[in-house]
Amino acid sequence: MDATKRKAVFALFFLSVHALCLTGCWDRTEVNDLAIITAAGLDLTEDQQLELSVKIYLTSSSSTPQMGGFSSPNSGGAGLSVVRSATGLTVADAASKLQQLISRKVFWGQDEVFIFGERLSRQGFVEPIEFLMRHPGPRERSNVFVSKGMAKDVLQLAPPIERSIADSLRKMAKLQTGLNITMKELAQMMGGKAKAAVLPMVEIKPREASQDAFAFINGSAVLKNGKMVGRMNKVATRGLMWLRDEIEYGTVTVSPENAGGNVSFQLRRSHTKLVPHIRGDDWSIEVRVETWDDIVENATDLDLSVPKHIEQLRTALEADIRQRTEMALAQAQKEWNADVFQFADAFYRKYPKEWNRNKDRWDAIFPKVKVRVEARSVISRPGLIGKSPLIPNQR
Amino acid sequence: MVEKGRISAFQMGRMIYLAITPTAILTTPAITFKFAKQDMWISPIWAFCGLITLYAVFRLHAIYPGRNIVQACEAVIGRLPGKLLGALFLLYYLYLIGIILREYGEFVVGSFLFTTPLIVVSGSMVLVCAIAVRGGVEIVGRFAELLLPAFVTLFLFIIIPIIPDLRVPNMFPIMANGITPSLAGAFVLQTWFSELISASFLLPLVADQKKAKTSVLIALLMIVLTLVVANLATLMLLGDITGGYTYPFLILARYINLAEFFTHLEAIFMAIWVLGAFVKICVFFYVTVLGAAQWMNLSDYRPIVFPIGLLVTLSSMWVAPDLQKLTFSISTSVTFSAMTMFVIVPMLLLCLAWVQKRWRGTAAKG
Repeated sequence: MDATKRKAVFALFFLSVHALCLTGCWDRTEVNDLAIITAAGLDLTEDQQLELSVKIYLTSSSSTPQMGGFSSPNSGGAGLSVVRSATGLTVADAASKLQQLISRKVFWGQDEVFIFGERLSRQGFVEPIEFLMRHPGPRERSNVFVSKGMAKDVLQLAPPIERSIADSLRKMAKLQTGLNITMKELAQMMGGKAKAAVLPMVEIKPREASQDAFAFINGSAVLKNGKMVGRMNKVATRGLMWLRDEIEYGTVTVSPENAGGNVSFQLRRSHTKLVPHIRGDDWSIEVRVETWDDIVENATDLDLSVPKHIEQLRTALEADIRQRTEMALAQAQKEWNADVFQFADAFYRKYPKEWNRNKDRWDAIFPKVKVRVEARSVISRPGLIGKSPLIPNQR
Repeated sequence: MVEKGRISAFQMGRMIYLAITPTAILTTPAITFKFAKQDMWISPIWAFCGLITLYAVFRLHAIYPGRNIVQACEAVIGRLPGKLLGALFLLYYLYLIGIILREYGEFVVGSFLFTTPLIVVSGSMVLVCAIAVRGGVEIVGRFAELLLPAFVTLFLFIIIPIIPDLRVPNMFPIMANGITPSLAGAFVLQTWFSELISASFLLPLVADQKKAKTSVLIALLMIVLTLVVANLATLMLLGDITGGYTYPFLILARYINLAEFFTHLEAIFMAIWVLGAFVKICVFFYVTVLGAAQWMNLSDYRPIVFPIGLLVTLSSMWVAPDLQKLTFSISTSVTFSAMTMFVIVPMLLLCLAWVQKRWRGTAAKG
């Protein structure tokens, strides 16, 4: 009995000694040992090298933004971030050079925004995306943007509303007034059947008398085979979003016939369905858009409590949706031949055999695909007033 | 009898479930996708090897009650050939635990503990498992009973929050090229299903023999169900790029974002993985130790637990020089060898045993 007891005491002692190692300061990584990257930008320099710029969030409040050899300090109110950049042959190369410029260990896990400069995008960015997918640090959910001009310039902005430029861009994307594309979705589009992708485009509104420069999402960049081939403006991007079933919020303004003014709707819900058909050599696709909208403004002489006027509004609204989507379609089909609507997947799902026979010819087929947009809208509510008390002679 | 402990049929089912599912979720989706594409979720349903193996296990146990397959070898094909075949079995088990341990270590080091040496990760796992195995089958059984609810809860913790990000169209068209792609994708999974042979070693230790069959069949059904759900979720999230990732299911955990708050959940996946791998390695380890002790006619298996643990650690270092070769061999040679050892050999044994029984029966009569 005594021997086993002694044995037990010894074992317990042996185990508790090990517990001392577990309290562990010997390889601790505390927050103030890390350079937490909140946003990263990639540009192409004049001599065809990659330039990686990162926005580092400073965790200890005592340090103030300092003048770096490569960057300028923030001018805005937040002032807790710095930008550093380094160049290299590949992204990994640039990242390792970047580490040489920073006293803390670079930490990618919180990076939620990646911005690609326009020059790099036109050259092609398969390689950087490869790195970002392979490296375990960057996250699949981070948002991806293309910047008009240098990505570095966007990073250097300090938005007054949000804590950092990363937050501000990510929240703007999340509102889905423009496109909201994550790294995973970009990889899916680039590696998918259509080989075409779209990314939201970030633009800098220059400094004016009363306001600082700020970044906002304006239109979208169209990619084909991993290269940026063109740019869609804001209106066409909305059409694109209708077709991709990504519309969430929005206000649509139409002017119905013979009504002498405009009516604005607020979008409540929308759903888009792609129905492909193949008849012989004739590939066509039917786009069925269904929306539910509320009236938020009425400056016409129509009394909107009368049902037949609602009919008239619906026709106008449906025509407007058709016009927007057709604008996006015309650009994508005629100008860039880039299947950014993922029609290829729709065809594959319904006609897998035909698709497999023709998948190498998709570039020749896509511009000729006939698209018929069929919009159906439901105008659910007139808002808080029916017949406007302010416009006296409404019909 | 080397093992005096007894487990319930229920515990056996749980042990079998946890001895197969964890690594199957981790490694197979990428390989299955390469063959089956959008039919990858159908592949786990083709669990032929599982059924064949279980059939052989139960029939052999009916002919030789209370004996596992290594012991049955000797009875069927004679002492010396039986010993040789038994040794082959045990060595193959050692090789298989090496692969399992290496998969575990590679995943932990490659995705989370980048600077920790592989040997530390796998060595500590072997140590913990060895202590559990020394406790006997009852301890391993109770661990399985204890950890299964945790495993399932954590699994659902990944599947449910990812639902808003799943895109159902990714799974269409279903069976566009017939059932061939899904069968091809199921091929690599047969390694996992043939691992059900472990049931042969646990079966003699089950107290309530009558329920054993039902319990193991339910376990097989649950394995298939879990894999179908895991593959379906992976496919609906990643679509065409599923095959590109080394651990597609990890991406699911990384992609979760509920209310900007419930994010960065790969730690949960890590927890699933460590829990599952622990039970899995325990079961395989136990089977090897028990088989070895019986093979050498030892009176107790406890003295050889740590020596075999050392062999297991070494085997995990020897199975492959790097992760690429490991994955490659899992999708090629291991499938064939596992099917040979765990499906074809037991079936041949069963046939022989059946013929012998017939022959002896007629000889006795005549």
